[in-house]
Amino acid sequence: MAEPTTRDTILAAIRQGKPDLLPLPATIGFPPNISAENLVESFMTMVKTNGGQAIRVASLAEARAFLAEDYDLTLPVLSHVEGLDISNFTPAEELRLLDTLHLFVLEGKVGVAENAAVWVDEAAIGIRALPFITLNLSIVLSEKNLVGNMHEAYRLIDTSTGFGTFIAGPSKTADIEQSLVIGAHGSKTLTVFLLP
Amino acid sequence: MNTASPKHAKNAEAFLRDEENTDWHNETLWFVRSKRDRAAQSLPEWEELREQASQIKAHALSKLDDYLIQLEENARKNGIIVHWAANADEHNQIVLDIMRKHKATKIVKSKSMLTEECHLNPFLIKQGIEVIDTDLGERIIQLRNEPPSHIVMPAIHLKKKHIGDLFHLHLGTDAGADDPQYLTEAARIHLRQKFLLADLAITGVNFAIAETGGFVVCTNEGNADLGAHLAKVHIACMGIEKVIPKAEHLGVFLRLLARSATGQAVTTYSSHFRKPAPGQEMHLVLVDNGRTRQLASPDFRNSLKCIRCGACMNTCPVYRRSGGHSYHTAVAGPIGSILAPNIDMKEYADLPFASTLCGSCTNVCPVKIDIHQQLYKWRQVLGEAGVVEPAKKVGMSGMDVLFSRPWLYRFAGRAGRWLMQTFPTLANKASLNPWAIHRDMPKPPEQSFRDWYAQQNKKTNG
Repeated sequence: MAEPTTRDTILAAIRQGKPDLLPLPATIGFPPNISAENLVESFMTMVKTNGGQAIRVASLAEARAFLAEDYDLTLPVLSHVEGLDISNFTPAEELRLLDTLHLFVLEGKVGVAENAAVWVDEAAIGIRALPFITLNLSIVLSEKNLVGNMHEAYRLIDTSTGFGTFIAGPSKTADIEQSLVIGAHGSKTLTVFLLP
Repeated sequence: MNTASPKHAKNAEAFLRDEENTDWHNETLWFVRSKRDRAAQSLPEWEELREQASQIKAHALSKLDDYLIQLEENARKNGIIVHWAANADEHNQIVLDIMRKHKATKIVKSKSMLTEECHLNPFLIKQGIEVIDTDLGERIIQLRNEPPSHIVMPAIHLKKKHIGDLFHLHLGTDAGADDPQYLTEAARIHLRQKFLLADLAITGVNFAIAETGGFVVCTNEGNADLGAHLAKVHIACMGIEKVIPKAEHLGVFLRLLARSATGQAVTTYSSHFRKPAPGQEMHLVLVDNGRTRQLASPDFRNSLKCIRCGACMNTCPVYRRSGGHSYHTAVAGPIGSILAPNIDMKEYADLPFASTLCGSCTNVCPVKIDIHQQLYKWRQVLGEAGVVEPAKKVGMSGMDVLFSRPWLYRFAGRAGRWLMQTFPTLANKASLNPWAIHRDMPKPPEQSFRDWYAQQNKKTNG
């Protein structure tokens, strides 16, 4: 007979030692604490708390004007948002060449008002490294896709995608004497545009 | 039988020598604890949320074998290569074998307490591999050749001046510069190069999901993502207790994790890895290293619910005043003091005694682990196993004799009061009374409570 594998040994030890079956809670999650009419305001406040900026715009043209104001769009810029044609950068296959990217714009699927986390998935991101390697990040999100809390968000997002992430602000750290510094390894700024 | 030495107390003594730094450490962690309180109070359902999290974890542990099999099956379908490791050595060997296969010599790591527990870094460095920790706090302590002193804030024991000097030496920052913004920028530039040139990335796992065969990694800096997405190979290492049944359960844990850890509403990045990117390879290593033993113990299995937020450390009066290194184990503080004796009872027999049993850790724990009760239970287990340090044991048996004989207790009280009143310096002499090493003894009362009570009784009742 073959030697038992580590896998077999671990599973056998679990079966030997685990407690009797305990049930899952009858319900998972809670209704949101934020009312529908306050979603936008709460979301925008939380983006700011997290160190980013949130701007309500009527159109992508308006978002483009804000971006042109804040960033030098002659530097390497990539937009994955249809109708926001400001790309001048073609990602090469060599991932380390993405390091020069100045601004990346992508579309968020769902935004959570309670913590300002925005779900972006592989379909919107393209090359996975992009939202993390870019110096500045911008997410375009429809106000219709705001929800109150994480429980609601998980009902809407597709977790069968290869990769997806909640982004809740620019990269940050407080590892040096608990002083908050924005811009650790990932993007140094985050601008979220809320469209109607 | 060999007995443990009071390492925690000795190490704490070294930490306490710098009084100013000790005060700062204490206050800083209390500040984080206060932020946690405000974040918790912002959710009216906080207590019920903890209860749900605790029940989900209890359920997951009661079906751990099924969920691990489900996780493995789904992960494989997704194209992830799954490995099982019984202990730290097996874990390290699996990682090394993957590296060898890819001829990887430069790796970037994001914070993973499991790899700390397995001592992966020194193992790989010995094999000639460049291992770079990329979390800023981890990088700082790596340059200092130190282990982390806190699971969420690894360099919390250092002040910005220390880090300025360190970066001046290693990263060429200006001498004397200690501005956190400036130092962080220097680290960003230094680490960006490491990210871009790494052959392979290692991350930890915050939650693995049986239903999707994927896993979630939470960071504020984005270092796990930058590493994992840029390298050709990504190895994620997890303790087997990290598996939860479904993606919808993440909503519960992600609302609790950052709020409990730092008082933030959520971490900046909560990344859900499910399939390797085209052209990349993804590995998932499932590690036991004592966890099945902990599961088999009804007294201690609850500790496997831990989601590694660090709230118990931030609130612990002993941790805050003794520093994380005094615990001489990868996971410091109250939860670490439960986990460590399970791995090596003799080596860590001192840790369950490094607690006031005040219960504050239990009160803040987002998954409702009965931390202080388990510490109390460990003391009994260690006592029975005969691994408690001799001085403590003598003291305990002395108290046993004293408290079980009322006449002796009364006599000792009288004798003690007389002694302290007559020779006050003697009682404060550290060589005779170890209790007085860092404290002065209080002034003894004129009479015992018992005598006073009898007197009062007489007064009122005649």
